Order: sequence, then structure tokens, then C-alpha cells
Amino acid sequence: MESVWVDLLVAVIKILVILGIALGLGAYLTWVERKVAAHIQRRPGPMVVGWHGLLQPIADGLKLITKEDLFPRYGNRFLYNLALVMALVPATLVFAVIPFGPEFEVFGYRVKPILTDVNVGILLVFGLGSLAVYAIALAGWASNSKYPLIGSMRKAGIIISYEVAITFAVMGPLILAGTLSTYQIVQNQIEQNLWYIWVQPVAFVVYMFSLLAETGRVPFDIQEAEAELVTGFTVEYGGMKFGLFPLVEWYIEVLTLSAIAVVLFLGGWSPLNIPFVGFVDPLFFLGPLSPYAWFLLKVTALFLFILWLHWTLPRYRIDQITEIAWKIMLPLALLNIVITSLIAPFIWD
Amino acid sequence: MVRFLIFLVFSAWAIISAIGVVTFTNPIYVILWLLSSLIAVAGIFFVAGAELVGALQLLIYAVAIAVFYVFVLTAVPWEKAVRKDPHYRTEGVLSLPLVLLLYLEMAVVFLLGVVASPEGKFREAIAKIGNAEVVGSVLFTKYFFAFEVVSLVLLIGMIGAVLIGRKESQTYEDDTG
Repeated sequence: MESVWVDLLVAVIKILVILGIALGLGAYLTWVERKVAAHIQRRPGPMVVGWHGLLQPIADGLKLITKEDLFPRYGNRFLYNLALVMALVPATLVFAVIPFGPEFEVFGYRVKPILTDVNVGILLVFGLGSLAVYAIALAGWASNSKYPLIGSMRKAGIIISYEVAITFAVMGPLILAGTLSTYQIVQNQIEQNLWYIWVQPVAFVVYMFSLLAETGRVPFDIQEAEAELVTGFTVEYGGMKFGLFPLVEWYIEVLTLSAIAVVLFLGGWSPLNIPFVGFVDPLFFLGPLSPYAWFLLKVTALFLFILWLHWTLPRYRIDQITEIAWKIMLPLALLNIVITSLIAPFIWD
Repeated sequence: MVRFLIFLVFSAWAIISAIGVVTFTNPIYVILWLLSSLIAVAGIFFVAGAELVGALQLLIYAVAIAVFYVFVLTAVPWEKAVRKDPHYRTEGVLSLPLVLLLYLEMAVVFLLGVVASPEGKFREAIAKIGNAEVVGSVLFTKYFFAFEVVSLVLLIGMIGAVLIGRKESQTYEDDTG
């Protein structure tokens, strides 16, 4: 009986830590994004509020919260608010299956830094990830306005197309790992002495394309398209309700999908991997904290890469986006599965 | 005991959602009730320890299939969606015998299924090699033929969809030139 309570306590602590990290970091990533964007465009970015604008997210948050809550007169208030819940909840739930580091012992209890190590973790990630499409469709429909509706239709089309590509892309690493549990996938990469990106470069490229498309980052931000659609499905939202959608899409979803990419392709918390040589750890001096540092480092690198793309590239047209999904990404992913099945026996040894 | 309570919660949730699906008139609410009931059924699978089936229920039904309803319905104009007049009344009455027949078939299949799968047959195997692996090994050995036939049916459906899609594109082809 005692162990049940300890398990429950551990679970609650994990939930609080994860939520704290996810939401706190999510808010502060707005500052990171503004700074990176500014420096890419050779301007200083936010400088006034705090040292180098460090308090800017708090000021933004206060401003958004104290704004008037506007609502379109002929809209559907229940669905309008439900869309917010359906955007935030599935996106944060994905953090439940992300492993942050290896197992450790506290007071004699073995703790895995992952909320639930279910053995279908990866399937849950994509199931929950694409529940976001309901939030967007509802937001567009409940606003009862043309721009949001068009924006949400575009977004739904993109998510449906790229959901197929991303699911087939992750099949490659899954075949090599032979398991659906996120924790076990990392463990297998460490045992096989190999980051899967070295044997799955095609899958990684398809995954990154789908990541950009699903999170609505440039070059796939056609549902926002400031020039034609104002801001797509968020037009009729105001104040913090408006702030929530980009927070979920651009930060929380990018973070979770980057973390999953790190788990699948970059060996999770394992140190630097060189093919045929094995693992090299330049951060060995951090001792037991080194795996967490590596995980954080890899996710940060992917996040900065996505920011770099976002503030550099122009936008695709909607027909180009769906064409890339169905005519290039899906066949590539299928071909990758065939080749992976052929080479898998060599890697399992 | 806890497991049974959670099962009761999920079943009640699923049944209430199913009632919601047939009683609400606004199609958007109907879709949401359907989604809610599909998620509740996934929850029942998780409680029963069928993690793979639960995750697939979420991924395929709650996301991939129900999303297409949303996709179509968001294109329904606002005035039509909130309209109250009952449509398809004659069709409803005409389809009643067929519905009864379907329910009868479901009951028969259910009874046969209860007899055919004694409880706990795969429990040891699941504990030994894991959930997804057991489903895979059963699917690709014992039920291999049925599995292939089902994929053939899906292939036919896909070809049909492609053909229907192509026909339309030929009709409008000259507009662009």
C-alpha cells in the first residue's frame, strides 16, 4: 500500500516539474524568439524592459491579460472558449511521454525522469499532437467570420497531409529500435552505439518538414498568412486568448516535437555520437548532470534551427505545401521504410 | 477495485457521449460528442490493459477519421448548422429494419466472441514480450489471411477514391486552359 502512495507522490512531483518547465519556458521562449529574430535582421530587439529586455515577456503577459475580452456578436461562445482548452491540453499532455534523462535513485526509490513510460509512447505523441486540429477547426468555426474559417481549413488540410508523412517517417527509427516506448528507444540507441540520424537522414528530413508544417512555422505558416488572412483563425480572439494560440503552436508544440526528434534521431540524453567510434562526452565534468545537459543542448539546438528557418525563409503557397506532403515526403518516407527494413538486421547485431 | 471504478467512469462517459451524438441537432456539437465518446472508449481500452488498441483508437478514430467530419462540417454555413427542422424523416423510418438487423448481427458477433476468446489467454504472452508485439505476432500468424483480405478491401476503396477524384478533375480540366 505504501508504494502506491510513493508512486502517486512521485507522479505529482513529476507533473508539477514538467508543467512548470513547459509553461514557464514557453513564455520565456517568446523573448528568445524576438531576440533571435532581431539579430537575424540586424536590430537589437527588445532592450527597454529590464536588462536586454529580459522582463519583456512579463510586460507582454500583463498587457495581454488586462486587455478587453472582445467576442464576435454572432459567434458561438461555448465552442470559442472550448477551442482554447483543446489547443492547450493535448499539446502539454505530450510532455508526459518525453524522457529527460536516465533512471536514477532517490532515497532507495528508482525514478525515471519521464511521467509515464507506456510502451506505446510514440503513438500517443502523434495521437495527441494531431488533436490540435480540432482546436483550430473549432476556433475558425466558432468565430463565425470568413478569415478564421479559411485559416482553419488551410491548417486542417496541412495537418492531415503531414500527419501521414510524419507517422511513416518515424517508422524507420521505430524499426531499428524495435519498441514504441520513448525511454526504451533512447536506451536502445545507447546500447547499439548509434544515433539513428546517421542511418535515417531521410526520415529526419521528412520529420523536420512535418514538424514545421504541424506547428505552423515558416515556410508552412499559410494558415496565418498576415498579408491575405490577417492572422488566420486567431483573428477574432483578443487579449490572452489570442496569446494562447501562438504560445501553444509556436513554443509548446515545437518544444515537444523537437524533444521527440531528439529522442528518435539524436539519442535522447546520450552524449555526442560518432559513427564507428561510439560515444564521446566533452561534458563529462558535469558528472551525473551531463545527460540532462545533453538533452537540453540538443533540444535548444533544434529550436534555434527552427527559429533560424522561420526568420529567413519566404512562405510556400497552399498547393505547393500539399504537393510536397503527398508527392515528395510520403513516397520518400515509404522508400525509407523499405530500405530500413533491409538494413535493420545489420544494426540489431 | 480502483480499476473497476475507472472502468465505470469511462463507460458512463462513453454512454452519455453516445446519447449526446444522437440527440443534439447542431452538427458541430454532434462531432464533439462523437470525439468525446471515442476518447472514452480509448480510456476503456487503457483500463483493460490493451495499450496498443487504446493508442490506435486515439490515433485512427479520434484523430484521423473524426477529423474528416470536422473538415467537412466546418464548411457548413452557420445558418444551416443551427437549423432545427427535422430532415430525412422518411429515410429514417425506411432504414429502421436495416438498423435492427445490424444490431442483431452485432449481438450475435458479440456472443460468439465471448465464447471464442476465454479470458486471460494472452496474459502471459503480454507480460513476457509486450503489448504491441503480441498483437503483431497474432495478427501476422493466426489471422494472416483475414489481415491480407482486409488490406485488399482497403486497397479497393483507395482505388475507388482515386477514380472518383480523377473523374472530377477531367470535367474541370478545360477551365484553366
